[in-house]
Amino acid sequence: MIPHPEGGAFAHPVTLGIIIATIAVLAVAGLAILWLSKSGRAKPEFRRELWLRWASWCVLLPVMLGPVLLGRAWTIGAVTILALLCYREYARATGLFRERLLSMVVVLGILAVNFAALDNWYGFFVALWPLMACLLAVATIPLDRPAGYIQRTALAILAFMLFGAGLGHLGYMANDPGYRPLLLLLLTAVALNDVAAFTCGKLIGGPKLLPATSPNKTISGALGAVVVTTTLVALVGAAIFRGTPLANPVWLVAMGALVSVAGQAGDLLLSSIKRDLGIKDMGTVLPGHGGVLDRFNSLLLVAPAIFHLVQYFLGFGIGQPARLITG
Amino acid sequence: MENWNLRPARDLGLAPLDRLRSLGREQGLVGLALNAGWRKAVRAYLTAFHRFRVTGRKNLPAEPPFILVANHASHLDALALAAALRGLPARRAHAMAAGELFFGGPTRSVLAAYAINALPVWRGRSRRTDLDTMRARLAEDALVYILFPEGTRSRTGEMAPFQPGIGMLVAGTDIPVVPCWLEGGRAAWPAEARAPRPGRSLHLTIGPPLHFPDARNDRTGWQSIASATEAAVYRLAPVGMQPQPAAPSSD
Repeated sequence: MIPHPEGGAFAHPVTLGIIIATIAVLAVAGLAILWLSKSGRAKPEFRRELWLRWASWCVLLPVMLGPVLLGRAWTIGAVTILALLCYREYARATGLFRERLLSMVVVLGILAVNFAALDNWYGFFVALWPLMACLLAVATIPLDRPAGYIQRTALAILAFMLFGAGLGHLGYMANDPGYRPLLLLLLTAVALNDVAAFTCGKLIGGPKLLPATSPNKTISGALGAVVVTTTLVALVGAAIFRGTPLANPVWLVAMGALVSVAGQAGDLLLSSIKRDLGIKDMGTVLPGHGGVLDRFNSLLLVAPAIFHLVQYFLGFGIGQPARLITG
Repeated sequence: MENWNLRPARDLGLAPLDRLRSLGREQGLVGLALNAGWRKAVRAYLTAFHRFRVTGRKNLPAEPPFILVANHASHLDALALAAALRGLPARRAHAMAAGELFFGGPTRSVLAAYAINALPVWRGRSRRTDLDTMRARLAEDALVYILFPEGTRSRTGEMAPFQPGIGMLVAGTDIPVVPCWLEGGRAAWPAEARAPRPGRSLHLTIGPPLHFPDARNDRTGWQSIASATEAAVYRLAPVGMQPQPAAPSSD
């Protein structure tokens, strides 16, 4: 169990700190763009792009952080909606949406995983991954249409793994009474990870990381992001996990590196999908960002990785009532 | 073994409103569910308030693609034709609707796209590429089109001459064109009325399908298809409606 002080949503100093820091960053960014616009240093299209991104963040951050502050059920509900939106974009981009039956099974799987999280039923939650792989593998056999079987089954299992099983871990963390600072840290750290990679890459430059997959990423950016994110996560993690077996410099640094590496891996995973399909963005929902997946790709792998690291040392929701709905 | 064939949605990357108005719009699970619910509601309404009857259902091809054409007197026409379909053809059915009227604003576009599953046809500015897209999708995606080749609702009850656009969709293909006659549309919802008039009965007659594999894909071919289809629709009309002796069929 993650240590947590008694009191409301803002009882933990890290929760309050992250919220204040987020608002401050947003305000400073707004002022910086305003200064850039007034001074006339930036081209109009670039200014427009900056404002668009900033406005998107102003909408996105409350939608992301709000449910975490509101409570357990809100958090799991928000993760469910996020998972369904991500799946919708993935299915439309890969063409899997034309397989109605399989698509329906993936959606049911996503709902089942999040139901298991809401029910605080860990046995069902972990059983769903192998069970869904089996179900997806047999679901389209009765259609008697073997052409394209391997492709559609592989696409569906990958979809369930990323958006169902993977993102589901984010919601399941909310079963621990002390979930707020950890979830807020993960949500903000992956965003910071992207910004750090971009900034370090621009400042230092140098050879490309994987030019065929993602032409704009540099090795210096990737390493810079690891340094920045690991430092931040280790420092904030020390405050969150004080007095537990995780509060040890080795594990805290490992945790920070895991957030950074898994975050960048999620990004590259989505880049590979997009390159393979020959598309630039997964959607148009978020002006300045692209689709929902373009924004949340980094969380896909971070959620299960950090969940199982913390689960190994502390466990989630130990001592909390289990199987709240199914009894 | 075939290579893996990853085909993104035809409407991928379009802004939401553009997507609704796109001829490449492809339904997902949400669209499918909303459209099915709407179809059931319309069918229940037509049966309860317009004693909706269908004769000649056996003439419908079992599998898409095909095109349903009919006389056009009211907004109920496309709804009635869609309500007559069942199963896969019903899910694949797209009504061609006047863009100005049905895709005017965002609310109307949502209704037209999600409930009616309509595709917009813009008066005067339907380009050749639009018709090419519709022709390609009909065959590739195995769709069902519901269209009214008169181009507009009849204000008198008389049927106007068919436009050649129908020919551009099927010339030189084996895709069936199914002629239909809807009796009672004008009484049930006249073009000048704002709302339908419950109590007036509707009767749909479905005729045997026409095929145009040998029609040339040019202006004369399109025109001959339009004429043949028009004659086939007239043959289903009640006695006394036919203005001229039935034209010879081209199939």
